[in-house]
Amino acid sequence: MKLNLTRFFTIRKVLSLLLICAVGYAAYSIYYKVKYWGFSLSPKAVTDVWTVDAKISFRALGGDVKVSLAVPNDRDGFKILSEEIVAKGYKITQDKINSRVVLEGKDKEGKQNLYYRLSIYDDAQNVALNSLLAAKIDRPILSEEETIQMRKIWELSELQKGDKIQKAILAINQEVNNPTMSLILPLNHTAKEFAEKVIQVLAYKRIPARIARTIKLEEGRKTEKPDIMLEAYYDGHWTLYDLNTAKIGLPKNWVIIQRGGVSLLDVKGGEDSTVVFSVLKSVASPLKMAEHRAKAHDELWSYNYSMYTLPVFEQNTLKWLMIFPLAILVVVIMRNVIGVSTMGTFTPMLLAMALVRTGFWPGLICFSVMIALGLVMRALVAKLNLLLVPRISFVVIFVILLIQVLTVVGYRLNYTIVSSAIFFPIIITAWIIERASITWEEEGAVNTLKEILFTFITAVVTYFVISNEYVRHVMFAFNELNLVILFVVMLLGTYTGYRVTELMRFAPLIHKEN
Amino acid sequence: MFEWLFNGKKLRENGVLGMNDRNYSVIAKYNKRSLYTLVDDKVKTKRLANSININTPKMIGIIEFQYQVKNLLDIVKGYDTFVIKPAHGSGGKGVLVIKKYDAKHFYSASGDVLSFKDVYQHVSNTLSGLFSLGGKYDVALIEEAVNFSDVFKNFSYHGVPDVRVIVYKGFPAMVMMRLATKESGGRANLHQGAVGVGLDVSTGLPLNAVMHNKPIFEHPDTKANLMDLRVPFWREHLIIGSLAYDMTGLGYLGADIVLDENRGPMMLEVNARPGLAIQIANGKGLKTRLQEIDEKYPLGLSAEERVDFVLNQGK
Repeated sequence: MKLNLTRFFTIRKVLSLLLICAVGYAAYSIYYKVKYWGFSLSPKAVTDVWTVDAKISFRALGGDVKVSLAVPNDRDGFKILSEEIVAKGYKITQDKINSRVVLEGKDKEGKQNLYYRLSIYDDAQNVALNSLLAAKIDRPILSEEETIQMRKIWELSELQKGDKIQKAILAINQEVNNPTMSLILPLNHTAKEFAEKVIQVLAYKRIPARIARTIKLEEGRKTEKPDIMLEAYYDGHWTLYDLNTAKIGLPKNWVIIQRGGVSLLDVKGGEDSTVVFSVLKSVASPLKMAEHRAKAHDELWSYNYSMYTLPVFEQNTLKWLMIFPLAILVVVIMRNVIGVSTMGTFTPMLLAMALVRTGFWPGLICFSVMIALGLVMRALVAKLNLLLVPRISFVVIFVILLIQVLTVVGYRLNYTIVSSAIFFPIIITAWIIERASITWEEEGAVNTLKEILFTFITAVVTYFVISNEYVRHVMFAFNELNLVILFVVMLLGTYTGYRVTELMRFAPLIHKEN
Repeated sequence: MFEWLFNGKKLRENGVLGMNDRNYSVIAKYNKRSLYTLVDDKVKTKRLANSININTPKMIGIIEFQYQVKNLLDIVKGYDTFVIKPAHGSGGKGVLVIKKYDAKHFYSASGDVLSFKDVYQHVSNTLSGLFSLGGKYDVALIEEAVNFSDVFKNFSYHGVPDVRVIVYKGFPAMVMMRLATKESGGRANLHQGAVGVGLDVSTGLPLNAVMHNKPIFEHPDTKANLMDLRVPFWREHLIIGSLAYDMTGLGYLGADIVLDENRGPMMLEVNARPGLAIQIANGKGLKTRLQEIDEKYPLGLSAEERVDFVLNQGK
């Protein structure tokens, strides 16, 4: 036996190596799918999809019309799911470089309503640092008094916290209502004017800055005026600041619509132009968004060959199949490691699958009743001494009729417990009945009930593993795990340790030899 | 209550062979699957055994097809008693022992009175695979009944006491005797409540007895002291086991042997995957024994030389 041990060892070694490879591959796959396809380990994870509608209204003056609207671009954290423009009779051009949509119409007159709709997802929160070089700027030309006030502001800013720009913003906010500063900071101002003042203050220190128009994504929000924030070029890159709190970066669920001093909306050939933004929120499952994400990451090829591109029916079937290996693993463990004997190798697994569809208690009760009725019937038929194949056929047909009757009666009386009969596999049910009745005749009721009990226990354990929402989601979304299960099962095929039940069975041998 | 969960280490120390270990390290290794057919079919086994002079109950005839069932009486003509067995049965399933019969009835060993129709039905069921592994079509084997020796009369309740010899690489490795009880319904199956008595392989003397995995000292029905059990023709029993290895080539097998009053020990069947309960009956681990044979026992001996080698270990 010693000689052979070395051979076992190599088989195990090879399998272990393959298992490690499978684990590595699965781990990489999970990382890949989470990163590029946006899959989540949780079945409850949802992706927020925001729809921003811009409704442009103006009155055309009767000639050519040119409308230009600033729109977000996908460099700013959010990914664009779809863009849609509804503007009948207008020529649409997208100016990607300046992030604008240009609509041109001829001979338009009267009230015009144009729509621009954008769906976005995946808020990256902090806008990637934009390191485009800013143009050098000149100091503003100030009068002597203005210079004094300007210096005063920068002196006061030293008392504030944060980087240089944050300090300036906070100081300006503090002094904005101070009459002694009125030359630099006029008392009454709009948000845009305020932002312009801040830009001027920063310009005094030759810090380039510009306005950023943003919208907070909030379900049901409707606004004509996007929120104004400030972007300043400092330390070699552009950074976004909140004008009131001086906080750095774009808060969660904000989207930048436009940057720089240019206007949000330009209408040539029209008047009374307005743009109203409205925001709607919807949710999508990460599985549905995977294609867009894969596309966004240029990983579409691998996605196209995954099962998530299949039609829904095939996907659902595969989703169901993907849980099988785990159920098989449970059966292998129950039999070879725990050591319970069941009727038929995979009967408990199929039983568990049926329980998933019927619900636990209704299924269990209904199935027990079916088995009991079947056994009674089978016992009556045993007296007829039928040949084997006709006898089993009888049981199968009996089970089919039983299922029919139970389902109809259950449906009429509205007992789901009864009507769940339809979900049990006919052949398996018949086989359990036949097998149980033979065991009953040959080995007595106790052994039969024991075997049925063990079959049920294994089925219940399997049920609790595979009915778990998380488990099912993970096994479908990260189906590479089935490869891991494959090698675990193979390794278990070389397991020569005692089964748990043997620890009890062979207990008498312990006291003997010592 | 759960201290048995920690038995693993002690069982390993005592050389107890587990089911997984048996399947993986012994059966998968030494029992080629193609050899199974030799022992699965009792007709084949019997012919093979007779060809190398292993004593078995004499075959009277076989019934292969349903239309032959009505020929039963012609086949058994001249025999007072006979046994009907499924050729592919296991564990004594479907075995019908007829003690005597007359113009109207058959009388079975278990005391039932059966009509001709009942017996034909039994044979018919056998052919349709009722008792065979996997329900495959089967053949009914009709053979002479064993004239059980009286020596075990006090040790068995009805039924047939038999000797199970585990043979490893041709060497008898472990032996037990299985005694029927009232509870086991006259059958010699340990899990149905028969008594297992472990016998020392080299001396044939009882080591230990169990029923339902628990040690006992007297037969529950006959009250005989189990330690008084003596098996005559011990060497011949072992030789049958050893020859079964030559006959089948199975490295690990269990030979079931009964003692006939006139013809001595006879082999009833060979099992290619004998169970592990024999360890409990012997109070000894089988793995230790297999390792001993692996490491110390010589190769290239004949069946008789192997048995003598084993017998000499006891001296």
